[in-house]
Amino acid sequence: MVSKRAAKLVGIGLIVAGTLVAESRKEYHFAVGPRAGVSVMNPYGSISVKPSLNNTVVVNAILHSDKVEVDNSQTGNRVDIQSHLLAGADADSGRVDYEVLVPADASITLHSNTGSLRAEKLHGDVSLEGPGAAVDVRDISDAHVHVKTMNGAVNLDNIQNGHVEVDSLSGEVTLRGVNGPLVQVVSTSGGIHYIGDFGNSGEYRLTSHSGDIEATIPEWTSADVSARSVRGEVHDDIPLQPKNHTWFPVDKGRAFAGTMGRVAVSSTVVLRTFSGKIHLRKRSEKQ
Amino acid sequence: MNCVELQRSLAEVEDGSSMEQHAHLRTCPACSALVRDLNLIAATASQLQAAEEPSPRLWNSIEFALRQEGLIRPQRAARPLVSSFGARWGAARWLVPAAAMLLLAVGIYVRHQSLPNQLARQTPVAVPSANIAGLNDDDLMQEVADNAPAMKTQYEENLRRVNESIRDAQGVVDESPNDEEARRSLMDAYQQKSMLFEMAMDRSLP
Repeated sequence: MVSKRAAKLVGIGLIVAGTLVAESRKEYHFAVGPRAGVSVMNPYGSISVKPSLNNTVVVNAILHSDKVEVDNSQTGNRVDIQSHLLAGADADSGRVDYEVLVPADASITLHSNTGSLRAEKLHGDVSLEGPGAAVDVRDISDAHVHVKTMNGAVNLDNIQNGHVEVDSLSGEVTLRGVNGPLVQVVSTSGGIHYIGDFGNSGEYRLTSHSGDIEATIPEWTSADVSARSVRGEVHDDIPLQPKNHTWFPVDKGRAFAGTMGRVAVSSTVVLRTFSGKIHLRKRSEKQ
Repeated sequence: MNCVELQRSLAEVEDGSSMEQHAHLRTCPACSALVRDLNLIAATASQLQAAEEPSPRLWNSIEFALRQEGLIRPQRAARPLVSSFGARWGAARWLVPAAAMLLLAVGIYVRHQSLPNQLARQTPVAVPSANIAGLNDDDLMQEVADNAPAMKTQYEENLRRVNESIRDAQGVVDESPNDEEARRSLMDAYQQKSMLFEMAMDRSLP
């Protein structure tokens, strides 16, 4: 009995040791100027980007085997990082997890097939793309934020004065405290949740073919809202001032249109689904 | 006049009606087809209404691309932020113009549906086929065949969903050709399918 247990422990120890041996860590430093461009292409694994304290790009990479290498190059104010798969690499052995520090004003482009993509506390443009990547972007201001996924969940939190575009096929998209001149989400079957105030006199377009759209906003929001579902239902918990003219027939239960708050500073909000439900909710004090 | 000379001359002679052009077009089916297509695009484009300007999203994307290219930020290097298009897409890079052609074809198709009602009522609505631009589902599945099984399944599932969304919207457009919202939904569905193809073909993500 004891020898069996010991054998098990030895086995586990060997596996752990093997993993540790195979796993390696690399660190790269690049001096850059203002508004640098940084791109990270990583077939398998996560990428997380945070602001650095000075004009330096620091890349920490954890390579999960020797079947993958990190290629890096700097051309002027641009830094390119790419995971380079070697023969026989697969999703496990080809995995690299990156933690990247960039100057807060840098523009970043991140690609990954499978790992999570995170960016936070930046004010340069952010472009994140990956079929299965879960995306988490927070505390970004005065920048373009572009996200493209197939089925990864997308969470955007506290994006101020952003030009935001999210394209997703089936992942859930949640926007919390996101505002700017343009906020647009297009999905095929994923749900879209907006929690915020449609601020900044912007244009907000949330579209899902069969996913539900739910917008939770405070009563004091100023917006010109139109919502329409071709085959689904619409619900509106907030009284809107009806509009005299709309570009579509307002069929009860299928569409609504109206304004709320101060017209002079109002945003344009367009909510559209084909067969999903649309729900405009009033935010409670706790939310 | 040969094919190259004819194609050059099209830019200079607006109606394609010089004697030389006529002579070449009579004997060259490829150039005749090209001129027909160009005429169709020109005719359809002239019917576009001011109300159907490109969406803010398009301008936004252009601005974003220009910023990434450094064209509207002089201090940035001229090299593009992501690796070169050709390098990343390899042999499948032809699929991008093909996808663009698909969208153009769908756009023209959708525009046709908004032409006078009687035309829409008399003519049965043709299903815009992905094969218009040489894109088809088998190509996509072949492209992702080497992916991990889980990822391949995800592509299959999303392809099924997006095809379903196209069928849904197409059904309503067939029933009500003047339903603006249904036409937009159809257009959106094709854009989503185009995006799925783009992701599958992206060589930076094997």
